[in-house]
Amino acid sequence: MFEAFAQQFTLFGSAAAQAFAYPQIFVTMIATIGGIVVGAIPGLTATMALALLINLTYSMQLSVALAFLLGVYVGAVMGGCYSAIMINIPGTPSAAATALDGFILAKQGHGGQAIGVGVIASFIGSIFSILILIFLTPFLYKIALKFGQWEYFLISVFGIMICGNLSTQSTPLKGWIVGFLGFFTAMIGLDAVYAYPRFTYGSYNLMGGISLIPALIGVFGISEILSVLQEDVPYSIESQLGRVLPDRAIWRDILKTSIRSGLIGCGIGAVPGAGEDIAAWVSYDVGKRRSKQGHLFGKGSYEGLASAETANNACVGGAMIPLLTLAIPGSPPAAMFLAAVWLHGIKPGPMLALESPEFLYLTAVTLFIATVAMLGFGLLLTKPMVGILKINRKILMPIIVPLTVIGAYAGNVNIFDIHMMFVFGILGYILRKLNYPMAPLVLGIILGPSADISFRQALMQGQGSLIPLLGRPVGLVLMLAIAWILIAGVRSNKRAVPASNSEGESV
Amino acid sequence: MGIILMLFSVYLAISALGMRVYNTFLDAPGFFPLILGIIFFIFGLVMVISAVRSGSVKATKKAFSKNNLITVLLASQTKRVIILSFFMVVYIYGLIGRVHFTLATFLYLIATFLYLKSTTLVKSAIISIVSALLISAVFQYLFNIPLP
Repeated sequence: MFEAFAQQFTLFGSAAAQAFAYPQIFVTMIATIGGIVVGAIPGLTATMALALLINLTYSMQLSVALAFLLGVYVGAVMGGCYSAIMINIPGTPSAAATALDGFILAKQGHGGQAIGVGVIASFIGSIFSILILIFLTPFLYKIALKFGQWEYFLISVFGIMICGNLSTQSTPLKGWIVGFLGFFTAMIGLDAVYAYPRFTYGSYNLMGGISLIPALIGVFGISEILSVLQEDVPYSIESQLGRVLPDRAIWRDILKTSIRSGLIGCGIGAVPGAGEDIAAWVSYDVGKRRSKQGHLFGKGSYEGLASAETANNACVGGAMIPLLTLAIPGSPPAAMFLAAVWLHGIKPGPMLALESPEFLYLTAVTLFIATVAMLGFGLLLTKPMVGILKINRKILMPIIVPLTVIGAYAGNVNIFDIHMMFVFGILGYILRKLNYPMAPLVLGIILGPSADISFRQALMQGQGSLIPLLGRPVGLVLMLAIAWILIAGVRSNKRAVPASNSEGESV
Repeated sequence: MGIILMLFSVYLAISALGMRVYNTFLDAPGFFPLILGIIFFIFGLVMVISAVRSGSVKATKKAFSKNNLITVLLASQTKRVIILSFFMVVYIYGLIGRVHFTLATFLYLIATFLYLKSTTLVKSAIISIVSALLISAVFQYLFNIPLP
């Protein structure tokens, strides 16, 4: 016991030494500032930024790449609160709940304190989730080691189903459809067992399969650019900030909420594909029902603001838990992070504890540095950030298109990847217009190959019969969970039908 | 959408059944796509039944009527998306790989800025030139990433 603890402590120390070394610490700080700016600008999301930046890290050392990507991730999730509070347009979808109370506070002349609460709540949420990440993940590694092929297949299906259920505002069916569409996308190319070409139509380019990063850039980059530029809505900025640091009464109000929201955010972050926006909404809803001043939520409540902001940043660490233990990302930006670590030869999953035991601690310590940098720079940059919000989106968004092109091309140095990126961009735009969520699609593309192989191998192990597989306890729990999600989804689908009827649901 | 999904599922199942079987069908390349085809068919069927039950057939017919389609196509948002996508198609499929990346980027940016009326003509030209040069230089020389 003592020996195991000492071993973990040594690993932690070694990881901390790497994360605090130069240039890692410098890169984390710069990346966090960059992330804050990206998150603050409406239309630029953490997912989009990470998708564009993955290939830049190719030539970097692993610890520097982690510093770069996690800095941007943490900064961007928090940065969304600036625009949510000052212009009532969430910089990222995860800040949508923040706008409900934040903008009202800004109109009352308390924009500075609202941002201050947003930054501090984000800090509390992140720290909370980092602690849970450090202490919970080693236990989950042990559980994940008991997973066989059958369980891996089931966890992939569970991921798609739960993500589809949570990420859609209308019927879960839409989430499930795009999730399995992601599975289909992953089938394109040479079959992993017999190298048989599937859905390649004789194209040599398609035989290599659909590259993950160009598809992600298309879905989150091109479709986002088109969505932002299709509308010509100007916005006004509440430029009266007031003081930034919250006073004692506000501290008292938000402390209890922040602890509860930190737990909720981290828990939702650990659910495959659920993401920061869902964490923020669920936490806001729970906060409203549990608070003595719940009636003030939506009318300029610091407590409401803190419940949303704590949860969305707590989701960052939470999303790393399934990513590190099962290679299943907890949120869309975490999916980008997974693609990046694959690029560096790290294979998350239960074997990570044996193959790269210090990776968990390196991730946690880097997240910690990024969180501290986010707190410091977030408070310091409040006033300059109001100026950044004035950037003309009609100039900014077209400039991102060449960046998406380079991002898609750089991985394989293949023009075909740029073409596929655009195809996925248009597909993503159409699906968004039809209210289909994007998170299950990404999860499907990531989990598709392992679901295919695991399913076939599990059936081979069972000699063509499902019966030997049904007795496995972890598998049984997962099957029950999938059945429960399916039943809950069908019920909510029935409720959603009358509502969609009025919207003109198409046959 | 349900009907499209059902048609797609039939295509998927036929393609999957046409794939080669090496040992048994359980480990064949077509097995998983066949399962997906069945899932899509069920989802499509549920969508169609839900739509019929909730009386959305009329709404769908109305949505696909000639007048409605013309209205949607002529809407300013649709026109904007089509034109912006067209600029991207010309940039990605027409210019990239045929002319130098910096020149292609400059042409794409200035055309888009002018269409969106982002700023004045002179400012658009300056921003386009500076952005195209800066992006090319930063990625090629600072990050050592090859340009398309």
